[in-house]
Amino acid sequence: MPSLWRRLRALFARARIEREMREEMRQHVDLEAAELARTRGLAASEARRQALIAFGGVARFEEEHRDARGTRWLEDFARDLRYAARSLARSPAFTLSAAAVLALGIGSTTAIFSAVDAVVIARLPYPHDEQLVRIFEQNAPGHRWNISNADFLAVDAEQRSFSAVGSMRYGEVAISTGGDPRRAVVVRATSGFFRAIGVLAEHGRLLEPRDDVRGAPNVLVVTHEFAEHELGGAAAAVGKSVTVDGAAATVVGVLPPGYRDLAGARTDLWPSLQLETPTRRGPFQNAMVARLKEGVSLAAARGDLSAISRRLTERWSADFPDTLARLTPYTLRSVILRDAPRTLSIFSAAVLMVLLIAVANVASLMLVRVAGRSRELTLRAVLGASSGRIARLLITESVAVGALGAVLGIACAWVVLHALAWIGPVIPRLAEVTLDARAVGFAALVGIAAGAIIAVQPVAVLLRGAPASALRGGDREVGAGRGTHALRGALVSTQFALALPLLAGAGLLLNSFLRLERVDAGFDASPLLYVHLSLPRGAYADDAAINTFWTRAIARVRETPGIVDAGVSGEMPGEMSGDFDNFDLLDRPVPPGTSEPTTVAAPADAGFFTATRVPLLEGRLFTEGDSANAPPVIIVSRSWVRRFSRDRPALGRQIFQGGCRTCPPTTIVGVVGDVRFQGLAGEGDAMYNPTAQSRMRDANLFARTSGDPAREVERVRGALRSLDPALALDDAGPLEPRVRGTLAPQRHLATLLGGFAIAAVVLAAVGIFGMLSYLVESRRREIGVRVALGARRPEVIAMILRRGMAFAVPGAALGLAAALLSGRWLAGVLYDVGSADPATLIGVTLVLLLVALVACWLPARRAAGVAPMVALREE
Amino acid sequence: MPERAELLQGTLDLLILKSLVVGPLHGWGISKRLRQMSSDIFDVGQGSLYPALYRLEDRGLISASWGISEEGRRAKFYALTPAGRREFAAERAQWRRFASTVELVLRAN
Repeated sequence: MPSLWRRLRALFARARIEREMREEMRQHVDLEAAELARTRGLAASEARRQALIAFGGVARFEEEHRDARGTRWLEDFARDLRYAARSLARSPAFTLSAAAVLALGIGSTTAIFSAVDAVVIARLPYPHDEQLVRIFEQNAPGHRWNISNADFLAVDAEQRSFSAVGSMRYGEVAISTGGDPRRAVVVRATSGFFRAIGVLAEHGRLLEPRDDVRGAPNVLVVTHEFAEHELGGAAAAVGKSVTVDGAAATVVGVLPPGYRDLAGARTDLWPSLQLETPTRRGPFQNAMVARLKEGVSLAAARGDLSAISRRLTERWSADFPDTLARLTPYTLRSVILRDAPRTLSIFSAAVLMVLLIAVANVASLMLVRVAGRSRELTLRAVLGASSGRIARLLITESVAVGALGAVLGIACAWVVLHALAWIGPVIPRLAEVTLDARAVGFAALVGIAAGAIIAVQPVAVLLRGAPASALRGGDREVGAGRGTHALRGALVSTQFALALPLLAGAGLLLNSFLRLERVDAGFDASPLLYVHLSLPRGAYADDAAINTFWTRAIARVRETPGIVDAGVSGEMPGEMSGDFDNFDLLDRPVPPGTSEPTTVAAPADAGFFTATRVPLLEGRLFTEGDSANAPPVIIVSRSWVRRFSRDRPALGRQIFQGGCRTCPPTTIVGVVGDVRFQGLAGEGDAMYNPTAQSRMRDANLFARTSGDPAREVERVRGALRSLDPALALDDAGPLEPRVRGTLAPQRHLATLLGGFAIAAVVLAAVGIFGMLSYLVESRRREIGVRVALGARRPEVIAMILRRGMAFAVPGAALGLAAALLSGRWLAGVLYDVGSADPATLIGVTLVLLLVALVACWLPARRAAGVAPMVALREE
Repeated sequence: MPERAELLQGTLDLLILKSLVVGPLHGWGISKRLRQMSSDIFDVGQGSLYPALYRLEDRGLISASWGISEEGRRAKFYALTPAGRREFAAERAQWRRFASTVELVLRAN
């Protein structure tokens, strides 16, 4: 491509080429002058003069010369850019407001782009992450649960689809590295888990098959960060001892930095997991991670696991009759991301709308600016600039505004990203999101594209010849020309059409959140405190030791000054932590081959109900008689009765619990009010077993206080420490903030979308305000005439309001239709509110129109204040 | 002074190529050669000549290099490239066909 090369060279060697050009030109004139002097005998000066005349205009030569060289467009561009910069600098108010409005749109879009890029598009940090799967038990679409030891051992022995399978078990236990014990999440894992994940140890080794054998020494793998902070450095950690749940374990390896979240499990400690030989199919308390063999599809693995499931069902048919349950693989990615793609798609749609509104807003501003400059532009046209040249000037200016918007937008993106991170666990892996070069490139692209779009309408107006009339009249007449005004009106309508769905979405989320806040959690949390306790296996080996501890602990806490009542339960209300158990009614069993119903199952004592004020509706609470050796009894909730015992009174009915048909049946002795263990949006059905019949090592102690619960926490801790100084007591505090905290994700979702919606509404209001102000300003004379002819103030105001609302109302109507169509998107995250909730939709439409009315009112009032004589004299 | 004639659109390139067939020339030399060859009927304006030269150079039909002129001064010399030679042959053939056809039409009665 010699031609391109030449052009590039010409561009960079511009100074040299121009010098040579001038030299060549001078020589030409010299030679011509010498020739003239020689052939016609002219004096040197006259010969030179004639030679110059013959040569023609020097400037024209240079210009044509450059055209021939083909670099003109770039030189023009540089000149346009300088011109645009000067022209923008002359009107800083326009430039800054346009750039700020664009920055809002570009910044939000860039932040969401970064989040989508890092969370949804980026790969998991494991080699060939597409091969990694999580395996669940599943008996119906959407109903999946963890796997059991029996499941894992069968898969490990019989599968043909995976190169590695591993099991892990989550637990919160007391740990210690020599100092005070504290509670920490630990995840016990088999060696197959680390083989499947494919991460290598930074120091020492990861778990190996010899660690899976029962009776092998207690070992654990720790994260780099834990080793650095608690074990005196990653290199020195191997060989050190950590006490986990009362038993000493030796550190055999350290993970590389940045792996505190492995396959979705957030922990610093990975003790080895030695599986007990199963005596029944359940309990289902392990998570299974596996790696597909090279070339094996998910569907093939599903078939393989299905065959294993059928054999498992046959083997354990006596105590697990659910023939529909199948081991089912899901990609690890889909399990980790959960709802993130949907949440991010909601945000993506929201920021796209904000961006479009911003662009429409600035386009409208630009239209006015061009109209205001029509005299200048017309002058340029008359002086010989082609309309293409002027169009290029306008486009350059718009793109410069867009680029400035992009620069400010990156700062704005940083803010939005932090707001997004504040949503917390709604979007996993969000902490890893940063504004990298790709984000900056994205912002730049969006900025330039926005600039180009903004230029479209002014250029269209220009090419239609609108400025031609500018030299005849004042600037205003052109700016207020019918075409320009209609265009601006369309832009205003667009902004309202875009703002309404956003406002509707935010309104629905807010409505849903307010309903959630009003949900009766089922207990009175106000003067309550809680302490999470976990009894280590070592010191509390059998039922007797465990039961003795709870009895003594409750008694000791009750005696503590400031404590009115106390009780204990295995679950924490309001959190998605509930353990499910299956059961079957003795007098109405499920048909053979179908799944038994499941419900939240929580151990509790009588004090739990009295301390939390959960009302007893029928029957009795637990008594001391409900001991380990007494016949099993159970208390159920009101929703449980409504769901499972509609046909006859629940009291006295008997069930088989946990699929055990050889165990003695359990009798229902009481019915209590609902407590929402499955989050405030969850159901209220639950069963309670007496603590003495439950072997409860992990529980929450609840204490009702007479004063501020925050002040009593230390005293309760002290009472418990006097019983067993080795217990971890750091997870304790007033209950109410904790329960309210469970609504944080919903609150943050509503807040963030609300923020976008407010930005959209403000932009739309500014848009309509700007349009009308301009209209009033440019029609002062017409208004003055009307007033002079007897129009009264209210009539003038009404006229202007009509003008403005004529664009706002159709826009809002269009937006309402869009909101109805797009509302389904939100259906999954709304609680007790329809996605087309009429009250919300009507409400937000009214709010938007009210905002529009106020935005129109201000210019209308100014119009009404026009003094006829002043307006007439001005022109 | 002979009567001057306007150049037909598009023929300037052909004439410049022709003027360079015998050897390299600088810009002024080309304009002088054109005047001589056309017996002073064609006088190419310099405002057309130089853009045409740069255009031809850009198309790779002629090449430019700095040398010393007969008058002993540094000057930019233009020379035909092989591509320029081929282009000249093609354009000359085309022009002849065109001119003879026009002549044919004008003679018809």
